[in-house]
Amino acid sequence: MTRSDNAAGQRRARPRWPLLVALPLLAIGGWQLGEGVYIHAKATLAQFLLERAWAQTLDGDSEVRPWAWADTWPIARLTAPDHGVDLIVLQGASGRTMAFGPGHVSGTAAIGADGLALIGAHRDTHFRFLEHVRPGDALRLQTADGTVYDYRVELTEIVDHRQATLPMIEGRSTVTLVTCYPFDTIAPGGPLRYLVHASQDAPVMASR
Amino acid sequence: MKPATGHASCRRALNPFHIAIFWLVIVAAVLGLARPVAAEVRQVPAAEMNDGGLFLPADRPGYVVPATTVDTDVHIEVSGMVARARVTQRFVNPTDDWVEGVYVFPLPEDAAVDRLRLLIGERQVIGEIMERAAARQAYEQARDAGQRASLVSQERPNMFTNAVANIPPGEAITVEIEYQEALDYRDEAFSLRFPMVVLPRYIPGDAIGTRPDSGTGWSFDTDRVPDASRITPPVAAPGTGPTNPLRLSVALAPGFPVGSLESPHHAIEVTERPDGGYDIELASADVYTTRDFELVWRPVASAVPTAGVFTERLGDFDYHLIMVMPPEEPGAVLDLPREMVFVIDTSGSMAGDSIVQAREALRFALDRLGPDDRFNIIAFNDQPTSLFTHAQPVSLRSLEAGRRFVDGLIADGGTEMRSALQLALAGPVSEEAFRQIVFITDGSVGNKAELFGLIHSGIGNSRLFTVGIGSAPNSFFMTQAAESGRGTFTYIGNTAQVAERMGDLFARLASPALTDIRIAWPDGTTAESYPGAIPDLYLGEPVIVSARTPAGTEGEITVSGDRGAQTFISTTELNAGQDAAGVAALWARAQIGSLESQIYRGADREAISRQITDVALEYQLVSAYTSLVAIDPTVVRPQVETVTTEAIATNMPDGVDMQMADVAAPPQPLDSLGAIRAMAANGSVQVAQLPRGSTPAGLNMLFGVLCLVAALALLLAARRWVRWMPVSQP
Repeated sequence: MTRSDNAAGQRRARPRWPLLVALPLLAIGGWQLGEGVYIHAKATLAQFLLERAWAQTLDGDSEVRPWAWADTWPIARLTAPDHGVDLIVLQGASGRTMAFGPGHVSGTAAIGADGLALIGAHRDTHFRFLEHVRPGDALRLQTADGTVYDYRVELTEIVDHRQATLPMIEGRSTVTLVTCYPFDTIAPGGPLRYLVHASQDAPVMASR
Repeated sequence: MKPATGHASCRRALNPFHIAIFWLVIVAAVLGLARPVAAEVRQVPAAEMNDGGLFLPADRPGYVVPATTVDTDVHIEVSGMVARARVTQRFVNPTDDWVEGVYVFPLPEDAAVDRLRLLIGERQVIGEIMERAAARQAYEQARDAGQRASLVSQERPNMFTNAVANIPPGEAITVEIEYQEALDYRDEAFSLRFPMVVLPRYIPGDAIGTRPDSGTGWSFDTDRVPDASRITPPVAAPGTGPTNPLRLSVALAPGFPVGSLESPHHAIEVTERPDGGYDIELASADVYTTRDFELVWRPVASAVPTAGVFTERLGDFDYHLIMVMPPEEPGAVLDLPREMVFVIDTSGSMAGDSIVQAREALRFALDRLGPDDRFNIIAFNDQPTSLFTHAQPVSLRSLEAGRRFVDGLIADGGTEMRSALQLALAGPVSEEAFRQIVFITDGSVGNKAELFGLIHSGIGNSRLFTVGIGSAPNSFFMTQAAESGRGTFTYIGNTAQVAERMGDLFARLASPALTDIRIAWPDGTTAESYPGAIPDLYLGEPVIVSARTPAGTEGEITVSGDRGAQTFISTTELNAGQDAAGVAALWARAQIGSLESQIYRGADREAISRQITDVALEYQLVSAYTSLVAIDPTVVRPQVETVTTEAIATNMPDGVDMQMADVAAPPQPLDSLGAIRAMAANGSVQVAQLPRGSTPAGLNMLFGVLCLVAALALLLAARRWVRWMPVSQP
């Protein structure tokens, strides 16, 4: 291919439409890929900022906002030693909150208190590990006053959120982790939820 | 030249207008994808709940999601001793999804279910009888293909499942089921019972894995109740109000002048027809499936039937339903000293009205003990507790202890009937005493086969009488248990009936039974009749036999039996039978029932199930091994839509305490979450809003990568094309 060939009357040889289509496609592709990466980056990075806020919380400050415009604050730390998971749990479980970390659903029992505490997070970010959680696994929750509560997973199940009920034992502290199910579908939403029910052993230590 | 021509035409087509259209489509696709892909359920404000129907809490506070419900319309035609019922179930789907509704419902325990129709507008699709597995396969195939279909299978002789596939969003599917049954006649009264709700069953045992035919119930299958997931329909959560409305009408042609006609549990409207029949309807339009319907009618004193024969000719055979009432012996009293053992169920399902009735019944019983009798009381839930270690003679002191024991009974915990029965059946019986066990329960057990076996092997010379309590007792279990224990079953539907029904029972307990009952057929006739061995009869009970003889059999049949030292003989003309449709189906059903009870007596299950299948296929009946399936050939659901399976919520029977925790507590300690889970759709269990736990990140990235790849491919292709062009020039 030479320029002279082109010059020899092949003006059709370089149509402009592929460029007209490809450039916006590139832009959209970049934007969508960026969005996806951003969601994951936000989920991961926020946890670093939250660590700092959590340290302050343990030091006695209350409702420490991890960044100035945040509308939530850390209330607990969730660790799953069997899965190498260490997460800061936030107040409330709105979509905006869960972008940064697992959220404690308002209206359910306080963590460590009698009753059922419900914690939700996304299946493709923070609660990806729930897929591998099995009955007998340990979960540890530390609340803002420093108390550590040990829970043991008793049951995992899949429910339809339209008909779901949660098991509750009067006078005992249980925690239920919830995320979307199945773990691997590409489309968000759907009616199924994956539940991990754990109940509490006695509090093991109180430290500051 | 090909590429050149191709692109030339492309180029002609691709003017700016087309490119703009292309981008519009892309943008629309992006916007479409950005919305949640799975359709969200329709949520309505809680205030709209009074439109009726069942609602479940939604994930927005103050909002609820409508759930699929079943409206039932029952019409029963009664003629003589035979009833034909048509049960029309309308599955209403108020959701925006395509739904498969799975409804677990009760029918009378001796119902011969023989017809299924799927009503689609003016069209009818008639169901056919198939072997259970084949029927399920055909149904599932149709369901997955998007066809409307219905599958009626028997879980227990008195419990059925109707699965209805592909109910369109916002629409309904109507299914008609028909059955035949013989009426109950005793103490000079006929009674018709239509059960409406399945009492939650107690499920013992440990969970086992799921199988292809596992059901949609709240329980797992367990080692002791392998089909537990099929017999435990979810119960509507407290506060959602009764669901599944029901209308019921009866056309009664009694065949004799009626002295009294009553419905003890529902208000009815009765219209007398000029031909001596009655039309009966529920008086209230606001009836839900919460308690069993019962209709009782008595002939005027001068017209009490003492014998009746109903005959149907089908093919080469005549089928007969024969009733003979043995004459009563006024003043005949059992003169043996008796040992009475009262066993009372104090499990959680008895909480509420049932335990009140049971206490009442027990007090009544204590008051009627004779001075020479001995007695004991055993109460059980998770484990049995007995009043005395052995039965004690009746005295002021022992009676007082008994009354105090009864007053202290409360309902709580599981239903471990096995150990209680063992306790009642064991223990020393004095040589001269005649031991009668009166077993008061609602029969909410899933492991009936195990218990029947126990009764058969342990009954010895004792007699077991069952008393059913509550608004929806498991009467199949109690009838069979009484039959195994050579006693009778008494049903008490509400507290007002306690005195009357317990009075009848005690009259029966105190009078000698009619034993060794035989039937002689006309000479040379080969008759197949069921039950094979007629059980002992107590005061007020008739001999009822289903028989098949060669067509045209005539002559007299003789029924005889012994009461103490006396023998009673009664003859009835066979050809005097009234024509009655459906008697053949009843005969086949009686044969199936008789085969089934052989399984409990330890016969080979494999062989018996083969025989039952053959009978059921020949007479077109639903049985444990055959199901009815109706499939509409038209495909209605587009393949892009999926179908959601919904277990239809049932009501808690009236008067049963809403604490499911108590109703079905498995033997594990209640402080295990797994135990609670295996138990309940409500009760101590709370509904919370579940957050949505997924992000569009994956979708974003996939779409982004696709766009990038497409763009690069396009650019590459464009460059290559430019490169090729000159080469292809001549």
